[in-house]
Amino acid sequence: MEETSMEEHEQTLETEVAPALIAVHPTQQSVAAAVGSDLRVFILEEGCSVALVDDSAGPLHKDSIRAIRYGAKGRLFVSAGDDKLVKIWSTNSWRCICTVSSEKRVSALAISNDGLFVCFADKFGVVWVVDLDGSHENQPLVNKKAVPLLAHYCSIITSLEFSAEGRFIISADRDSKIRVTVFPKKPLDGAHEIQSFCLGHTEFVSCLAFVYSSDCPEGFLVSGSGDSTVRLWDLTSGSLLDIFEVGAEDLYSLMEQNRRAIQPSLIYVPLLMAR
Amino acid sequence: MLEQESNSTISKTTRLPRKRFYRARAHSNPLSDSHFPVPISPNQVDYPLHYPQLFPSSDQVDGSKKIQFADIGCGFGGLLISLSTLFPETLMIGMELRDKVTEYVKERILALRIANPGQYQNVSVVRTNSMKYIPNYFEKGQLSKMFFLFPDPHFKEKNHRRRVISPHLLDEYAYALGVGGIIYTITDVEELGEWMKSCLDGHPMFEALTHEELEADPVVKLLSSATEEGQKVARNGGQTFQAVYRRIARCL
Repeated sequence: MEETSMEEHEQTLETEVAPALIAVHPTQQSVAAAVGSDLRVFILEEGCSVALVDDSAGPLHKDSIRAIRYGAKGRLFVSAGDDKLVKIWSTNSWRCICTVSSEKRVSALAISNDGLFVCFADKFGVVWVVDLDGSHENQPLVNKKAVPLLAHYCSIITSLEFSAEGRFIISADRDSKIRVTVFPKKPLDGAHEIQSFCLGHTEFVSCLAFVYSSDCPEGFLVSGSGDSTVRLWDLTSGSLLDIFEVGAEDLYSLMEQNRRAIQPSLIYVPLLMAR
Repeated sequence: MLEQESNSTISKTTRLPRKRFYRARAHSNPLSDSHFPVPISPNQVDYPLHYPQLFPSSDQVDGSKKIQFADIGCGFGGLLISLSTLFPETLMIGMELRDKVTEYVKERILALRIANPGQYQNVSVVRTNSMKYIPNYFEKGQLSKMFFLFPDPHFKEKNHRRRVISPHLLDEYAYALGVGGIIYTITDVEELGEWMKSCLDGHPMFEALTHEELEADPVVKLLSSATEEGQKVARNGGQTFQAVYRRIARCL
């Protein structure tokens, strides 16, 4: 997978472009693509693009977008990146219903499954949470404040995921660690109870995904890493269940299929089935 | 050329390492990425390396005996040395960021082991950044005591996030400590003492020990007397501020 580290980006601002991102609506109703600071949405059924409405001054995002995401229910869409703004959109009207300011650049995003909370991680390893509090398109633009939820000390968080039913929030960082934290009933007070750490990767963890099966509705956590392995984890104990070594050829074909798509479950399910 | 007594790093009379050859600045930047090996996970911690007499070979690491005390920022090892004989059946480890200081503690433990056969086999030291790698060394609930003695105050407001006791890091310490485990902190900097106390008060998984419990715990007295830093504070007639808390189960 193409790796663009934050440090490299800082040094070569003129020549480097943030990797393009793709996100797909849970019911495949629409697709969002972000290239640099540009964000575009296409309605697949109608085969046309949508004009995004953002009441704040200036272009939608002023700097490279680093993460985009649809909510599990498909009603919300979030985008964030180097301009330190987290924009929350309603997928009905494609209007920006909320803009949250971050102190640092944003590296990862997640929306809780019930659509009530948006979590984002900044460059210093702090994960913040915003309470959406039933915001929807009819309300005027509300600027919400985020509170810190948890932190990976001095580590850039590369991926954030909620588990099924939102019981846990999983955060992965560039120091090869994956932390599984209990997502509390009152997230604004912080998520202090760590359920487990999934340790085993020897390089940065690049992405996380969930795989569900009939005999395990809670799902298994799958992670991809710079150490060229894909690993399967048990969330509750943090133990490693399985490991898949990705050869150089497999990696190339993966890149061709899903250029930085944030639907890693599509990549990993075929891999797991190939074993 | 003959090696002079005064140039030797190990004293010929006491066989203990001489501190003046291991001088290091009190401050070390925890944000810098030093290059030291870190275990990928707690089952990769090298028990035979640290406790050779108790784990003669790698085959015998069955996981029944694990490290239970951790001295975070152990400095020159004063506390660990005292704890080693007070709790001879418990495995304990010091974590220190500074290279030279870690070497000093290693030499000190080695010398004590030679001079006192059978003793000090339960104590060791490792050079690491405990603010990043605690979960790599300790499983969930493995520790029963954690020590933070005279940590770096990081006075400037912008550096407060480098403090070893902080609301976010307490999540990790709560993870490593078993329910009922105790966290001991002490400092001679009043503002830092208040900071640490308020972080612990504000964390849902820690509660303060009562006055009676503090009196009853033999370790509490060691906090100010056993370390080189503590002894220096006492010599200078300074005041110390301690906060000792117990890890409790989360009440939802």
